[in-house]
Amino acid sequence: MATPSSPPPSSPPDEKPQNLELAQPTNEIQQHAREEAPKQSSPSVFVNSEPMREEQVQNAVKFLSHPKVRGSPVMYRRSFLERKGLTKEEIDEAFRRVPDPPPSTQATGTNQEAQVISTSNVQPPAQTQALQPAAAAPTGAISSAGTLMRFRFHWYHIVFAVGLLAASGAGTTVLIKNAIIPRLKSWIRKVILEEEEEEKEDPVKKANAKPSLAEEAAAAAKAAAAAAADVAKASQEMLNSKSEERRHFKEFMNLLDVQVQEMKSMSTAIRKLEGQTNNLGRTSLVDQEDYTPSVANHPKQTYVNGKAESDSRSVRSLSAPASAEPSVAPHPKSYMEIMAMVQRGERPANIRDINDQPPNPNQQISNTRLAPKSKPWEASKSLNNSSQALQSQVNGEDLNSKVQDNGVTYQFDGESAIPWWQRKNARITEIENEDELKDGHYGARTNEQPIQRTWVPPQPPPVAMPEAVEAIRRPKSSVQKEQLAEDQSVSHSTDVTDELQRITKISESGGAVEVNGGGLEPNSIEIKEVQEHSSEEN
Amino acid sequence: MPIFKTPFNGYSVKFSPFYESRLAVATAQNFGILGNGRVHVLALPPSPSLPLSELVAFDTADGVYDLAWSESHDSLLVAAVADGSVKLFDTALPPTQNPLRSLQEHTREVHSVDYNPTRRDSFITSSWDDTIKLWTLDRPASIRTFKEHAYCVYSAAWNPRHTDVFASASGDCTVRIWDVREPGSTMIIPGHDFEILSCDWNKYDDCLIATASVDKSIRVWDVRSYRAPIAVLNGHGYAVRKVKFSPHHRNLMVSCSYDMTVCMWDFMVEDALVGRYDHHTEFAVGLDMSVLVEGLLASTGWDELVYVWQHGTDPRAS
Repeated sequence: MATPSSPPPSSPPDEKPQNLELAQPTNEIQQHAREEAPKQSSPSVFVNSEPMREEQVQNAVKFLSHPKVRGSPVMYRRSFLERKGLTKEEIDEAFRRVPDPPPSTQATGTNQEAQVISTSNVQPPAQTQALQPAAAAPTGAISSAGTLMRFRFHWYHIVFAVGLLAASGAGTTVLIKNAIIPRLKSWIRKVILEEEEEEKEDPVKKANAKPSLAEEAAAAAKAAAAAAADVAKASQEMLNSKSEERRHFKEFMNLLDVQVQEMKSMSTAIRKLEGQTNNLGRTSLVDQEDYTPSVANHPKQTYVNGKAESDSRSVRSLSAPASAEPSVAPHPKSYMEIMAMVQRGERPANIRDINDQPPNPNQQISNTRLAPKSKPWEASKSLNNSSQALQSQVNGEDLNSKVQDNGVTYQFDGESAIPWWQRKNARITEIENEDELKDGHYGARTNEQPIQRTWVPPQPPPVAMPEAVEAIRRPKSSVQKEQLAEDQSVSHSTDVTDELQRITKISESGGAVEVNGGGLEPNSIEIKEVQEHSSEEN
Repeated sequence: MPIFKTPFNGYSVKFSPFYESRLAVATAQNFGILGNGRVHVLALPPSPSLPLSELVAFDTADGVYDLAWSESHDSLLVAAVADGSVKLFDTALPPTQNPLRSLQEHTREVHSVDYNPTRRDSFITSSWDDTIKLWTLDRPASIRTFKEHAYCVYSAAWNPRHTDVFASASGDCTVRIWDVREPGSTMIIPGHDFEILSCDWNKYDDCLIATASVDKSIRVWDVRSYRAPIAVLNGHGYAVRKVKFSPHHRNLMVSCSYDMTVCMWDFMVEDALVGRYDHHTEFAVGLDMSVLVEGLLASTGWDELVYVWQHGTDPRAS
């Protein structure tokens, strides 16, 4: 949590959990809240005040240390951990721990991970060495290749190897050039010098020069042959070294293939482990260019924003989901046609060019003609009680006065002056009475007429969790214990009104409700036994 | 019950908080894939057998995915447009003088807009660019941008009681609670295993949130103990597109889904489904419960129809 680092001034340590990191911001919030209107409850309810769970942090560290995860963008790692239910603090802590080689904090499988971490640290300095062109470079590559085989294969290795090969090739050619050119030059110089010497000498000796010329020609031919042989040897060496390098490269490629196979199998394994969470169309634990099809029940993923760049933007395709649970809703036929058209790059013919820019961007916003009305839930601040019934009546009266504001005269029955949409028919009040009876909130009304429903009778929802259904029917104490064990350390500061809410609700409902889902205020520990909500507990 | 036929596919419908017989509909051409958009402002007829009448309509270059009425001005509308812009319309002015503002900051489609019902001066927009932006009417630029989600943010909703708190639902399968005074999100709820398309706060218990997901279920969470939901509502046949708590009853909520139905639930009861309306013939995508009129519902869908009816009546009856 990126909270300001200034500590709160002398705020009393209330019954907050032992996590100091959280105590700071929540205290600040409470301070802030106290500064505001006293009636406003502190928003600390909307903040996580659970302490950090070490087990979760360790699992996260293991996850983050995984080599494949290290190749994925940070955003996706965070998102994965968030989906697993880690809080921000736990995720931050895990990120903090991972770059340092974990000596003792990690429980299992540290060797491999430590090797991986040290390899990744070795890579950058190794790469700088590759820049030095040396004859020893090929041999160096070979030896490092041998050591590299022990570690996992990365793309770094390939770049490294290619760089080395190029450098060695360049180096050998340079060497050869340096070898040939001096030889040639020296040979040429020799020939020239010999000619000059001949000219300087007695021209009589020219006769002797002929056979010597022949000799010299022979010698020159020999030298040329020798040079050619040298060149041939050198090129042979080059070829040999190149073929060697090629062989090694092929070995690299084979290793690569093996490693890619391993990576693929690991990715499938991870996918299976993750199960159906592979929703993120941009998840790239495996390097893929196009979007992996996500659970595309939502057609948004097939939308292409209608501009010229629509071609460059990738369209997320509708495809079968990863699991059987959320099935893809059958889209209308014309929808599929339009999707196909857009994916082909065609523009549907019915689109008009509309200029929807503000004609006068500095147009003054006119004053409102009506004062804002209070919301129905604001009026009854305590809890839903009979004041609500009053509220609806008040609304009705308001309506009557407002009817003329709309400028339309309404057709009224002889019965009342309320417009048709305001008047509730008998059926609705019955239904709502029954709802209210079930809640136990409206004790006043007693209506026992059977409900006649005009809409399609609702099908009973499928039982998603049979054990939840059982749990509801089983005695509550066992379930309650489980919940308590989970959320033992949860403690919140609550406002008085919430407490009052609970107490009065319980008293109204007669005390025969089920246990709340886990989170409990510290003050209401006695009230825990009284069951309040009916819920399918997961 | 009155209906209205829109030329484009319906995306969102909202009742006006000032006039109980007024509502606005956001529509997009070609199912919102590629095409123009239109905002209709409709009025309820004097008799239920008549259709809804259109007061004014505004055209946009790209589809409109959502809209919100201003809580401070009776005639102002904010529209969330698929080209990333947020447009402000004045329904009292003719279309030639509209929109008043076009705020272009989001880099992708703006999927939802919600007006603060208690402070009445600000609104938030959520977008497929993974961010949520906070705006006020008088400023030309956003006040804050909240960027934490790893995927499209489909919906953002203000807390009805705490003026600075809001929740956001995203395709990264989490719901985040934010406080505008805090730099980052204050709570992360990994609500579902699949994309969460909508979220809404309970109007009477400010700690309860409902989330609707692609996994066909609606879950109700208590932020004080968010590890497990307090209710899981199953019954929809396909992804649940929108969920809304009743402004008049603590336990009631409505939802619409790709199974073309609108369902009403009472999450405190074991048999939670208390009403189902199957009037739409395509995906039911937009839904609202009137704050001024108890029990009044409106829905719209890809079948280009807008229905307004009272809970308990048949939307298709005339």
